[in-house]
Amino acid sequence: MQDKLSFKKEFRNRTIFRIANYIFLGLVMISMVIPILKIVSDSLDSSATYGMSIIPKHLTFSAYKVIFTSESLYRPFLVSIYTTVVGTAIGLALTTLGAYVLIQDKMPGRKFFVWMVFFTMIFNGGLVPTYLVIKNIGLLNTLWSVILPLSLNVFNMILMKSFFQQIPESLFESAEIDGCSPMAIFIKIVLPLSKPAIASIGLFFAVEYWNHFFNFIMYITDSTKFNFQIKLRELVLDSTGLAAATSTSQTVSTSAIQNASIVVAMLPFLIIYPFCQKYFVTGITMGAVKE
Amino acid sequence: MVKKNNSTQTLSVLHKWKKNKKITEIFKYTYLYIMFLPILIVSIIFNYIPMAGVRFAFYEYTPFSQPKFIGFDNFKTLLTSKKFISAFSNTITLSFANLLLATLVSIIFALLMNELYNRFAKSFVQTIIYLPHFISWVVTASIFYMLLSPNNGFVNQILGMFGIDPIYFMADEKWWTPIFYFINRWRETGWGTIIYLAALSSINPELYEASSLDSATRLQQTWYVTLPGIMNTIIIVFILNLAKVFNLFESVFVLMNPMVVNSAEVIQTYTYKIGLQQSDYGYATAVGLFKSVISMVLVVLANNISKKIKGEGIL
Repeated sequence: MQDKLSFKKEFRNRTIFRIANYIFLGLVMISMVIPILKIVSDSLDSSATYGMSIIPKHLTFSAYKVIFTSESLYRPFLVSIYTTVVGTAIGLALTTLGAYVLIQDKMPGRKFFVWMVFFTMIFNGGLVPTYLVIKNIGLLNTLWSVILPLSLNVFNMILMKSFFQQIPESLFESAEIDGCSPMAIFIKIVLPLSKPAIASIGLFFAVEYWNHFFNFIMYITDSTKFNFQIKLRELVLDSTGLAAATSTSQTVSTSAIQNASIVVAMLPFLIIYPFCQKYFVTGITMGAVKE
Repeated sequence: MVKKNNSTQTLSVLHKWKKNKKITEIFKYTYLYIMFLPILIVSIIFNYIPMAGVRFAFYEYTPFSQPKFIGFDNFKTLLTSKKFISAFSNTITLSFANLLLATLVSIIFALLMNELYNRFAKSFVQTIIYLPHFISWVVTASIFYMLLSPNNGFVNQILGMFGIDPIYFMADEKWWTPIFYFINRWRETGWGTIIYLAALSSINPELYEASSLDSATRLQQTWYVTLPGIMNTIIIVFILNLAKVFNLFESVFVLMNPMVVNSAEVIQTYTYKIGLQQSDYGYATAVGLFKSVISMVLVVLANNISKKIKGEGIL
């Protein structure tokens, strides 16, 4: 009898807890999404004051029209696309090549290479020495100064390496007996077998390149080579670029352009995220467990 | 006679095969070294040559003069500089408070998400709360600048309904720090739960069965089974993040403005200012080196502790 009562009580408590839990997590999700939704809504709203609504009152796309018709705003967008595409390609090439060489257990000097790559995670020269090197080899004000330093990502290489290590050893051996060169094994066996890994790490690279702004601040002063993040920083956080951008159009308010720029800066990611979440999560869990 | 002949033949074949194998092996490894060459080149140019540049920490060096050796003078200057000491203590305060909050909030969220038994609900929650992590710091800062803006910002409009005058959130030192912590939680909490969720799923279910046979309540189970079960993970994640406290940079850089410089300036932003805006290369390198050396010691220590706890290092 006693037992039955306590069981009932326990059951009731658990139901209350579950409902409270759903409500709490629901509120958390809302608070995560509201800031983004509010910006999206405001960017589509032509009213003078936005108020509290998260649905635009007077729907208009004029701010987006301004962004994609004035050169000072769409050019950075194109630079972003260029650095993302080229950077991801180079990053993936280096990551897969490096990971493939680093899994060759019998290769003389493997330990040295592993340490050489890993040591960069522990120690670096710092901002100024890196700046001086890039200045001295003449990369200042070229997009290579942004793309190349980011293309070697030790963390991604470790992830890729642990993916490659899951490929059965016997595949490599039989290919070797058939007279395949290491490059042929790499292209014909390793790469096709690790498509999911390449997809996740490629997405990590793409997000990193798309979101990157600091190398632009460090190495690029030529405003025609700014990416969209830098432009956005000028428009919203610095307010120096705002006057120039808004002078081109009197009809659209400055805050509409600011909001629309924020949306444009995250749009590519928001579009692919629901479809590629699978790949993000495989990469993330691998990384989290490894970390 | 025949037998002997046979065996020498086998031997010579074996010998030849071995020799061949050696040649193919040398060929194979040369090939692999060539494949590694691009990585070596990028690493040497962008990681190792800059490391040699730390010698400028011991020089007086500006764009307008030749480097002049001055020994430890730069370090003496930085240890007595008020701005450096303020940046140093800000770095520690901001990252340490941020780390404590991150650990606490992420563990609580992971525990609550672990109680969701509906798989669809769980993955939906995960999709939403991981999302802000992928939004760049510039966009994050811009979103909150717009929402917290004193004219027409979302938050100030809500406050206005209650008759509160607009607050200059980002330009007020009193508000900047809590908002900095909040924005960091908004962006990173979901991402932070991943590792705890992975640890939670690896707790042996028999422990829960055994404890419920002993009529333990859910709360007792959380306290005596769940938390001890993920304790190692909590400690390791905490230590690893502790090793990174001096790397605090991007988030501060985008959220900072001249009004809040006293409580927001951290070592990295200070280095950027004196190195690239004031072009005092020697002194800025010294500040960077000071930070790199402390960071390196912390990372190596963290690695050793993690080795002791987990049996496997991070490096």
